[in-house]
Amino acid sequence: MTREKFNTIALAGVVIVAFGLPLVVHSATYLHILVLLWLYAYLTSSWNLVGGFAGVLPLGHAAFVGIGAYTSTVLWLQYGISPWIGMLIGGLLATIVGIIIGLPTLKMRGAYFALATIAFAEGLRVMVENIDRLGPFVLNGPRGLQIPPLETGLYSFMFISKVPYYYIILVMLSGVLAFTWFISRSKLGYLLNAGGEEPEAAMALGINVARTKLIAMAMSSFLTALAGTFYAQFTLYIHPKSIISLDLSFEIAFIALIGGRGSIAGPVLGALLLRPVSDFSRIYFGDTLPGMHLIIFGVVLILVMLFQPRGLQEPLTRIYSRLQARLFASKAMET
Amino acid sequence: MKILEVQHLTKDFGGLRAVDSLDLDIEEGEILGLIGPNGAGKSTVFNCVAGVFPPTKGHIYFRSEEISGRKPWDLCKYGLARTFQIVKPFASKSVLYNVMVGAFAITDKTSEARERALGVLEYLNFEDRKDTRAGNLTIADRKRLEIARALATEPKLLLLDEVMAGLRPSEVDDMVSIIRRLREQGVTIFVIEHIMRAIMALSDRVVVIQFGQKIAEGLPQQVAADENVIKAYLGEEYAVS
Amino acid sequence: MMYILEDAINGILMGSIYGLTALGLTVIFGVLKVINFAHGSLLMVGMYVAYWTVVLSGLHPYLALVFVIPVMFLFGYYLQDILIKPIFKAEKNVREPITVIIVTTGLWYVLDNLTLLIFGPQYRSIQGNPLQGKMLELGQMLISVPKLWGFVTAILTASLIYLFFQKTRMGRAIRATSLDREAASLMGINQYKVYNVAFGIGTATAGIAAVTLVPFYNIFPTVGVLFDIKGFIIVVLGGLGSIGGAILGGIIVGLIESVAPQFMTATWTEAIVYGLFLLFLFVKPSGLFGMKYDW
Repeated sequence: MTREKFNTIALAGVVIVAFGLPLVVHSATYLHILVLLWLYAYLTSSWNLVGGFAGVLPLGHAAFVGIGAYTSTVLWLQYGISPWIGMLIGGLLATIVGIIIGLPTLKMRGAYFALATIAFAEGLRVMVENIDRLGPFVLNGPRGLQIPPLETGLYSFMFISKVPYYYIILVMLSGVLAFTWFISRSKLGYLLNAGGEEPEAAMALGINVARTKLIAMAMSSFLTALAGTFYAQFTLYIHPKSIISLDLSFEIAFIALIGGRGSIAGPVLGALLLRPVSDFSRIYFGDTLPGMHLIIFGVVLILVMLFQPRGLQEPLTRIYSRLQARLFASKAMET
Repeated sequence: MKILEVQHLTKDFGGLRAVDSLDLDIEEGEILGLIGPNGAGKSTVFNCVAGVFPPTKGHIYFRSEEISGRKPWDLCKYGLARTFQIVKPFASKSVLYNVMVGAFAITDKTSEARERALGVLEYLNFEDRKDTRAGNLTIADRKRLEIARALATEPKLLLLDEVMAGLRPSEVDDMVSIIRRLREQGVTIFVIEHIMRAIMALSDRVVVIQFGQKIAEGLPQQVAADENVIKAYLGEEYAVS
Repeated sequence: MMYILEDAINGILMGSIYGLTALGLTVIFGVLKVINFAHGSLLMVGMYVAYWTVVLSGLHPYLALVFVIPVMFLFGYYLQDILIKPIFKAEKNVREPITVIIVTTGLWYVLDNLTLLIFGPQYRSIQGNPLQGKMLELGQMLISVPKLWGFVTAILTASLIYLFFQKTRMGRAIRATSLDREAASLMGINQYKVYNVAFGIGTATAGIAAVTLVPFYNIFPTVGVLFDIKGFIIVVLGGLGSIGGAILGGIIVGLIESVAPQFMTATWTEAIVYGLFLLFLFVKPSGLFGMKYDW
């Protein structure tokens, strides 16, 4: 058996376990936790396209989540348009916004770009909190929008059980990962990497660095907005403070950074490691030690940046390779 | 045909005039050397030609088209490539990866980029190090990588910025022969250098600048004997007159 | 009409305090070329230190400066030494270490939530302090006394810091390092020590700002977040690295915040401030007086 075959089988195993979990896990609480786990993995992987591959630090991605969520929700509540279609429209809207924001900011130094994304996201939140009606659209300001669980089914993107949501987000996650993998091997991936690492050299080699970053930004904002719709349909309630929150933007970025931005497995790994920490510390410490999980996040982030700036995926991948080598070495000795 | 024409090129940085009304041209297939004491403005000339910043005054024509103020990535697609005095490899990636980035300037497909990159590496006798991490290379190999990367973009004109700096004499000789061979590929070369014997051996013609102005031009031997050049490099006492 | 003038004056006073809070941020940036995302949290820590100093000692809030300044200076000095210096060393050749931004963001989270854990979420204020609620009557207008004290402190602090950088040896060493690290180190200046001192000064300044706020502002774990973001806005408006710019930027923000609500809701005012910020970022990122930073 070759190494590639082993990797493929290992990957297949992971996929089977992931897709098979709902068959053994029946508790609604745990399913809820798992759905959010995959959702965060999806969000960080989408963030990774611009935060990892393009090498900048966007700290306002919750804005795109909000755009997606509000677009599909308003279209459903007021016009009965299926959230699936609303999802796509929200994605397109987010793409346009992402490009408008990206055009002037992606040329800036890293810290200024980060600040601009924060300012934009907070500005958007403040505006949404203050607008009850935007023309014909009802946004309901700080009270947010609630989706009454009247008709369930595929068209309305509403289900009684958590299981369909589980599979939808898992499919979305698989899609994003496949897409990212594909991009990393394509011309755009090479150019993004080069532009992020040595912009001057990249420009001298024919790369319009600002434009490649803009493309990455557009893709990332589109994908992130889709998650916004998913979240709206899953929780059936959205309001600015929860969905366009700085906490959400930061959490997405932190998870990707701790897991390892720029790699494909990194963000997912980060989510797999950190979300359970977050959930369990909330469950067990929620009342006695509030904010504990955020302290843990912060400390882990600092430690990782000091000692493993490329994220935890680096040492973990090394351990995996070593295990692999030992497996094959012992197999060779058997014959 | 004149592949590069620089007319009255002037570049000011605030109050400092780095280049002063410089005229220069390069014939297709030539190797033109640009020399001058430190601070003479050589790199500024390069940077204006390569699109890093626009000239304050004057015009630059590449392949008969005005390019003053065009961006580096446009110029690269148009056939003008450059290396950097302080090498800038994509240190975290392999040599092959680095050269592939260059190859993507002329193709969209990864497989084709890889083939072209391998071809360039073979041409430069470098393919044995294709999987080495660029950050781990010796300085001589990094310089070679700079050239390989630029070559992968299939340039018509290649600007080499002090590509011999920091090399040992034997490495300098290697580099000279590499650059000579580039001419066989149909690449016109514009080279800045400090190492005299290299530039005298390489160049068909030499231009000398000091304080941003041209003070001599001609065949290498002519320029080496020129009084103004000697004065510029060694000071008044050494001029023989 | 009188209301607008009154609002404007109080706005300028409050704005100068905003400027004072942003002063540390601009100093740290000017020297280390790093935007300290944890600045608001440092301000918050300063407020808690000031609060406990006053409550435990019964001193006048401004006397707490004697304790707050050295404590905050050392806090900042060692934060830089332990957390940020290693990254500078590791990323010596990188043009601008993004990792530092990430680390300071992590620090922000840790400080805010640790404070929440230790002191709880309740709002605190120094009851019965000599400045609380005092108003000065100027004709028909009421001027807030604690804010007036803050204004004076802000101008004084800014001037002192400016003089420090111009006249003292350490100050000149810091400026030299910020202009050209390698040349400065060749002159025998220990760049890492310089960075530590600069960070200490920035943090101590946040401590001073905290003392001016404590007489009239509520103290709670996430109080820093507002000032953090406002601090960024001010520093971009006034120009990163410019001391006068920070105070001026603060005054602009303070003015908008106090006068605009006469014409629109308070939260639209917030949106305007963000909008102005983004406008400056796009059009004039170096701000009103900032240093030319190659973008």
